[in-house]
Amino acid sequence: MKNIIETNSVSKIYKLKDEKKEIVALDNVSLNINEGEIFGLLGPNGAGKTTLIKVFTTLTQPTEGWAKIDGVDVVENPKKVKSKLALMLGSEMLYYRITGYDNLKFFCKVYKIPDYKEKIYALAKVFGLDKWLREYVGQYSSGMKMKLALCRTLLIDRKILLLDEPTLGLDVESTHIIINKLKDMNRTIFLTSHDLNVVEKLCDRIAFINEGKILKIGTKQDIQNLYKSQIDIKIEIQQSIEELKNELLNKEFLSNIEIENNGILISIKDRTYYQKLLQILGKYPVLKFQEQESSLEELFLKITGKF
Amino acid sequence: MIPFHALKDNISQILAITEKNVKLHLRYKFGLIFAIINPLLAIYIPLIIMGNLFEFSNQFGVWNSQNFIVYQFIAYNISLLKSLVNVFPKQFQMEKFWKTLPALIIGPFDRINLLLGILFSHIIIISPPFLVIIVLNLIYYPISIISFLFFLFEFLLIALIFSGIGIAFGVFAISNENVLKVLNFLIGFVYLFSCLTFPFQIFPDFIQNVIVINPLYYVFDFLRMSWINNNVALTITNYPFHFLILISCAIILPIVGTYIFSKVYKKYGITGF
Repeated sequence: MKNIIETNSVSKIYKLKDEKKEIVALDNVSLNINEGEIFGLLGPNGAGKTTLIKVFTTLTQPTEGWAKIDGVDVVENPKKVKSKLALMLGSEMLYYRITGYDNLKFFCKVYKIPDYKEKIYALAKVFGLDKWLREYVGQYSSGMKMKLALCRTLLIDRKILLLDEPTLGLDVESTHIIINKLKDMNRTIFLTSHDLNVVEKLCDRIAFINEGKILKIGTKQDIQNLYKSQIDIKIEIQQSIEELKNELLNKEFLSNIEIENNGILISIKDRTYYQKLLQILGKYPVLKFQEQESSLEELFLKITGKF
Repeated sequence: MIPFHALKDNISQILAITEKNVKLHLRYKFGLIFAIINPLLAIYIPLIIMGNLFEFSNQFGVWNSQNFIVYQFIAYNISLLKSLVNVFPKQFQMEKFWKTLPALIIGPFDRINLLLGILFSHIIIISPPFLVIIVLNLIYYPISIISFLFFLFEFLLIALIFSGIGIAFGVFAISNENVLKVLNFLIGFVYLFSCLTFPFQIFPDFIQNVIVINPLYYVFDFLRMSWINNNVALTITNYPFHFLILISCAIILPIVGTYIFSKVYKKYGITGF
């Protein structure tokens, strides 16, 4: 599959003149994103997510390394790069002093979108904004501004969508609408978010970034597998709970055993020990055997070393 | 030659920027009203002062108590056009503040379209008071159609001069606002010694020595003389050096301004948002 976004050892260093020190916003970032892929970048505030998007959009140049969009270097040919991208920086890039419709109309004209009036109303209807289009954007709620910013980005017919925090501050219903809409887009989407739930539902692959460094890249499953240093399993049996607990005690492949309601919660160090575990369980009337998945949130905290 | 569809696209983009900027300006109408009133206040004080001075001396150069209102009407229109210097930096600063600048920068248009859009929108915004004052001037001191057309042509050249300066200033609103502040301070001096609202003859010798090295003085003076003389050929013949300065500035400053804009933009990019 074709790599549509590529970076090789991209670093971005900001020099703070007043304090005579440097801030490393991006540190040796190397990424490859496939065409048609939805790629999520997760990281805390100041991790370097927006800086990476600014590098892709040519708004800032890397201090070291290179980045290519659809094979075009962002420094050597920024004009061509821009023609391949649509950018959403949260609810920014909207004119508050004109109406929502005038905002969208302006960008449609700039980007030469034909039949823009119908397209604007159709898209606004999806997000429930159609009745608000003739109002000044300054009167919109933060969620509505976010939706309008997303409408603006989606109207621009580009191969690659770069979305910085597209669901920040949105309610569950609006987030759900946006997730569904983006899934149906059939475009390459690079998005940054704090919202692990959104990334989990939307993205094919995920990268974790902290202090400018990419800590891990993989599918959601890859990352979960990689970081499951222990797997929690809930076992429910009809009787003999105490007996099972005693048998499991002191088994070297288990790190935790707790009686919980009508079952036992155990933590196994690795899936390779399943056979040994199942041999023991075979002697008992097991009603339920359920792996309890770690949430991405837990994984994120583990990866960034804050757990 | 530019293909028709490319020309059409460029015009469409320029109109889109123009329309958007005009709508942004019309959001708060009082700002627009005061923008019209402020230049009126600026010419009101010189009118009072010169009214008193004419009681002591009937004439300052060609200017007397009868025709001095023409001087001030023209000063008003120049003041309106002078705002073209600030419109580019102001627009870029606002776009930076509103965080809409990235949308323009990654947009698929040439920088020249962006600059022309800003220019045209400002011309539309200042045109109503500009036209009213021109009509008043025509009523008070009528001139021939040829002189009037030549006068409008001169205003177009002056608009180009101010736009050239404004474009050069505008890039510093994007790249380095410290430089912009220094440039604004310096241009303030150029205006001060340009005889915009007071005639050259009332200034003491040492200030007159400064005024004569200021190209804007010749540009403004030529404009006023072409109205008062009401004869294009006579004005050019009598003031060839003034005319040469006007033409030179109208050609050189937009080129230099666009060059500075491109160079600085490419070298330093965008900061501060």
